[in-house]
Amino acid sequence: MNVSEAIIERIRQINAGYQHLELAVDEPLQKIKPGQTLLVRQTESWHPYLREHWWTVGVREKRLIVERPLDEHYTPSQVINVLGIVGQPYRFRRSLRNVMLIAHDTAPTPLMMNIPWLLGNNISVTLVLTGEGTRYPTTHLDERVEIIHGEPDFTWQDQVMTIGWADQIFVVVNPYDEISHFKEIVERITDLRTIIPKNYLFGVFRPEFACGAGACNACMIRTQQGTSLVCMEGPAYDLTQLIL
Amino acid sequence: MSIQITRPGKNSLILETPVMPAAGTFGYGEVYRDLINIEKLGAIVTHPISYEPRTPTNDTRVIPLDAGVLIHTGLPNPGINKVLRQHRNLWTMLPLPIIVHLIADREDYVRKAAARLDEEACVDAIEIGLYDDITYREAAQMVTAAVSKTEKPLLVRLPLQDAYEIAEAVRDAGASSIVVSAPPRGTARDPKSGRLITGRIYGPIVKTMVLQVVERLAKRIQDVPIIGAGGIHSQQDARDYIDAGAVAVQVDSITWISPPELEYIARDLGGWIVTRQSGALPDEWHHGMGDTEKKATDKPTSVT
Repeated sequence: MNVSEAIIERIRQINAGYQHLELAVDEPLQKIKPGQTLLVRQTESWHPYLREHWWTVGVREKRLIVERPLDEHYTPSQVINVLGIVGQPYRFRRSLRNVMLIAHDTAPTPLMMNIPWLLGNNISVTLVLTGEGTRYPTTHLDERVEIIHGEPDFTWQDQVMTIGWADQIFVVVNPYDEISHFKEIVERITDLRTIIPKNYLFGVFRPEFACGAGACNACMIRTQQGTSLVCMEGPAYDLTQLIL
Repeated sequence: MSIQITRPGKNSLILETPVMPAAGTFGYGEVYRDLINIEKLGAIVTHPISYEPRTPTNDTRVIPLDAGVLIHTGLPNPGINKVLRQHRNLWTMLPLPIIVHLIADREDYVRKAAARLDEEACVDAIEIGLYDDITYREAAQMVTAAVSKTEKPLLVRLPLQDAYEIAEAVRDAGASSIVVSAPPRGTARDPKSGRLITGRIYGPIVKTMVLQVVERLAKRIQDVPIIGAGGIHSQQDARDYIDAGAVAVQVDSITWISPPELEYIARDLGGWIVTRQSGALPDEWHHGMGDTEKKATDKPTSVT
């Protein structure tokens, strides 16, 4: 982790609700991997007080591409203070053919950086959007991505079959009351699949970070082995290994 | 420059710089080592530790406020024995004093934990954190329990409310120095859940509240050093605490927002304390000054 500055070089509206910022960053930050984030600060004032959590969706010509809602205003050449890289990369199985990415009641932004890498390795990707997640416009996505729009109650057509096909599932939920949401999802998947193997069902946690560096313990979660800090060992956890 | 931050005696604690991170903001000393030259700090105050393990709260933990934040964690930690096992080597290796922050939740636990820490050579002092609604009698009992089991310096961190009454009680019970104060408690509505959450408040506004208490306590209690803690966000904030009568300061949430600022404050205050005594200009160091320039001025004159 180090403190550095990023410059917004380009801003592109990618769909009706989101924009992509291209950030020129120092070399260490160019090594960011899917699952890892940047803690950024845009202002010298004390409001907002805490650093924001920015998810990278891709790296292009040594520029990081960050996805932000369209209603936020940025300008080219704007300088952003960055503290990062935060967290650990997503862990994929070696023998992987089908990956399911699920966004329940939220935008799938934290999962998007996976897609180019997975497709590039000939791994098929299914993106499931349920509840509020269905509002996420998908027109900009690669046509090889299978997109399923589900219902607010975390159901969709052919659910048993699609979950059966998936070798690994990554789920992101509305950050409000994440633990309860993940608990419901584990119960739902357990109903659909007799056995949930280890390293199969991952939840991507996005708690509000105070420090983002492992100093405050505000993002601690309970696991079968003890406790874990999401900012250091997360954001993705095998949901079957947590005490929810 | 040496600054004594505890009462005089054979076990007093002397620091090179009167700046240290506050408990709960710096982990166990391992977290910001890539971002801060920790040798510039006076000491490290560890994350709060309890005698028994504590698990994290299930409720909302962090609520952003206007120019601040409210945090409610439940002070999770694996308990004193596991913390010592995990961090003993690091604390032995670090080139500055280690002050272990002990959660004073029960008198018998404080007694046992103080005895346990007394055996540890890597621990230079103990800071006990009193809970918010503690009475002055209970506070004195906690301090007496700790003092009876350790010869290490005992810092006592007061809750902001009732600080005056409790300060006198813990002084009489044998506190080596008084830390004013723990982050004040507050209640805020969680914008996500809509529920009211109680926790500790961090932010620049806290300094205004604590500084007044430090100033009054420093006049009232002159035989025990006072360490100012709360809301320090700049070098001037730290100087204000020294002007108000504190011998040293603890820096809290600015470390989360801008980690290098902790080092800047330490370097500035360390220099300012020296120059203030001699009446020299105070700004002999600023964070724009690189290490090369600093080293050049420190270089001894060569003899040819």
